[in-house]
Amino acid sequence: MMRLAAMVLLAVLAALPLAVQPSAAPVTWLATAALVVGGVGVIAWSVPLVTAAGSLALVAYALALVLAGPAADPLAAIALGSTLALLLALVHFAARARGAAVGPSVIASQVRQWLAVVALGAAVAGVLMAAALPVGIALRSATLPGVLIAAALGAVLTVGGVIALVASEASRRPRS
Amino acid sequence: MTWRPTPLNVSFLTVVGWALFLAVLTGRVELAVVAVPMVVALVAGRRTGAPPRWQIDRSLSTARLLEDECVTVSVTLRAEGPLPLVELLEPLPPRVGLERGSNHAFFTLREGREIGWTFELRGTGRQHLRLAGPHLRVWGPLGLSAAESQHRAPATVAVYPRHAPIRHLPRPLRTQTFAGNYVSSTQGEGIEPGDIRPFAPGDQIRHVNWRATLKLGTLHVTQHHRERNADVVLLLDTLSEVGPDGETVVDVAARGAAALATAYLARKDRVGLIEYGGQPRWVRPGAGRAQLERLLDTLLSASVVFTYVNRDLDLVPPRILPPRALVVALSPLLDRRFVRAATDLAARGFDLIVIAVSPVPAARAAAPRSAVADVAARLWALERRAALDEYRRRGLSVVEWDGREPLDAALAALGRRWRRRVLAG
Repeated sequence: MMRLAAMVLLAVLAALPLAVQPSAAPVTWLATAALVVGGVGVIAWSVPLVTAAGSLALVAYALALVLAGPAADPLAAIALGSTLALLLALVHFAARARGAAVGPSVIASQVRQWLAVVALGAAVAGVLMAAALPVGIALRSATLPGVLIAAALGAVLTVGGVIALVASEASRRPRS
Repeated sequence: MTWRPTPLNVSFLTVVGWALFLAVLTGRVELAVVAVPMVVALVAGRRTGAPPRWQIDRSLSTARLLEDECVTVSVTLRAEGPLPLVELLEPLPPRVGLERGSNHAFFTLREGREIGWTFELRGTGRQHLRLAGPHLRVWGPLGLSAAESQHRAPATVAVYPRHAPIRHLPRPLRTQTFAGNYVSSTQGEGIEPGDIRPFAPGDQIRHVNWRATLKLGTLHVTQHHRERNADVVLLLDTLSEVGPDGETVVDVAARGAAALATAYLARKDRVGLIEYGGQPRWVRPGAGRAQLERLLDTLLSASVVFTYVNRDLDLVPPRILPPRALVVALSPLLDRRFVRAATDLAARGFDLIVIAVSPVPAARAAAPRSAVADVAARLWALERRAALDEYRRRGLSVVEWDGREPLDAALAALGRRWRRRVLAG
């Protein structure tokens, strides 16, 4: 059952770039590669393989956006991010629970928890998108290099901040 | 116990990094939006502070069992705070199989709730089955953080060698002075009638044989044989072993020794044990249920201990190897020191039976199957048969047992030869 759910999430992950640009061969190839790698990862319950498949799907999505150049669609992006988070959490849990006794109440509780976190993520993404609109209008006159540098700085700061957050927990781990 | 991030964080961070990098590279806002749910999950999934508290108890259904019997492990977990996802794992030692349930389980508990978790383990070889205690892991949301602990409650279950009932027990040539089940050659109080002799002052009237008295014209009495017990010493060879773990010739010999000890003790005999190996150990002969426990405990830890020092049976005190005792040796007869010791015992007048545990099936089980191995095994079996015939010519009573057929069947074949010897003796 968990494997079927993971396969469905993986199919959604591979289908989203194709929905943006279905006719481009590179996008199709990348989405197929993501599907194959992710399928192997789901069969073997391997989180690293599913992470690789997620990265491939992201590259395919980026390529599809560049090739098609559609108007910004935050809903598809939120769906892709939420699917990725759910898939990684599901595969990680299934890998841990392989061969173990897992009651139906545990599955139900986990699904509720995952959906709550993903819904929170989607809501935050929606709020950020809404907040970005006036910022975009205000920065309409900004030059491209400036925007690029600001975006890169923002990306680096986001990743760095999250790493620092996680690492601070790790540093509190008692040594035995 | 504290919360710590799990490796899943690395996966999330990898995907977030990719999304933001591609967003900057392509200038598409959607790729940055893709990262948002995962960043939110990373932030929501971190846990600080003390994890929820719980109480855990573990109990075992028994502290001792025979090989291939089961022990039930019961674990009770009570949450003092909410536990959204808790993982329990009881690591299994080698030579232990899972019979029912699982030694690894996931639960969800609300505050103040309690769950019971049981599973059955099967001991597949004689051993001290040691369980250290369940490991417990509490998972945070999405499995991004976890807190681990171990409930240290070491418990040991003694898995004794299994034994089948034996009906064809070798009878001892000589009996001892205590009451038992063997008809002694000496006259006295007993049930088995013996000789008839003329009445003498002091004889009891109930022993008068009236038929002989009427025929011979004077009072005659019937004498009776005494029922006596015997001393049996089991000599276990732990100088060498062959075979896969749990099915070595020492394991098979220990099963045979346990079966013989049970059968002889049931006949009110006194049974002792000598473990003849690198580190000789012994149990002095005794009778009763407590003696059986002592013998089984000693058999439980019987193993091969390598040493360069040659130890002889002269070291064994006479009270451990009493005169007039029946010595039953269980050995694969692979080590010449044991053959020498057995021959020496027979030469000293001990009533000796050697149960030669065949190492060929054990060696075949340990080696990969091949035509060459089959031929080698057949040649080895022929060599062993010739060697056993040679020991028999030297006067040893030897019976071969492969460990797969019941020991009773092997002893039945011995019984015919042995009975003739007992009658002749």
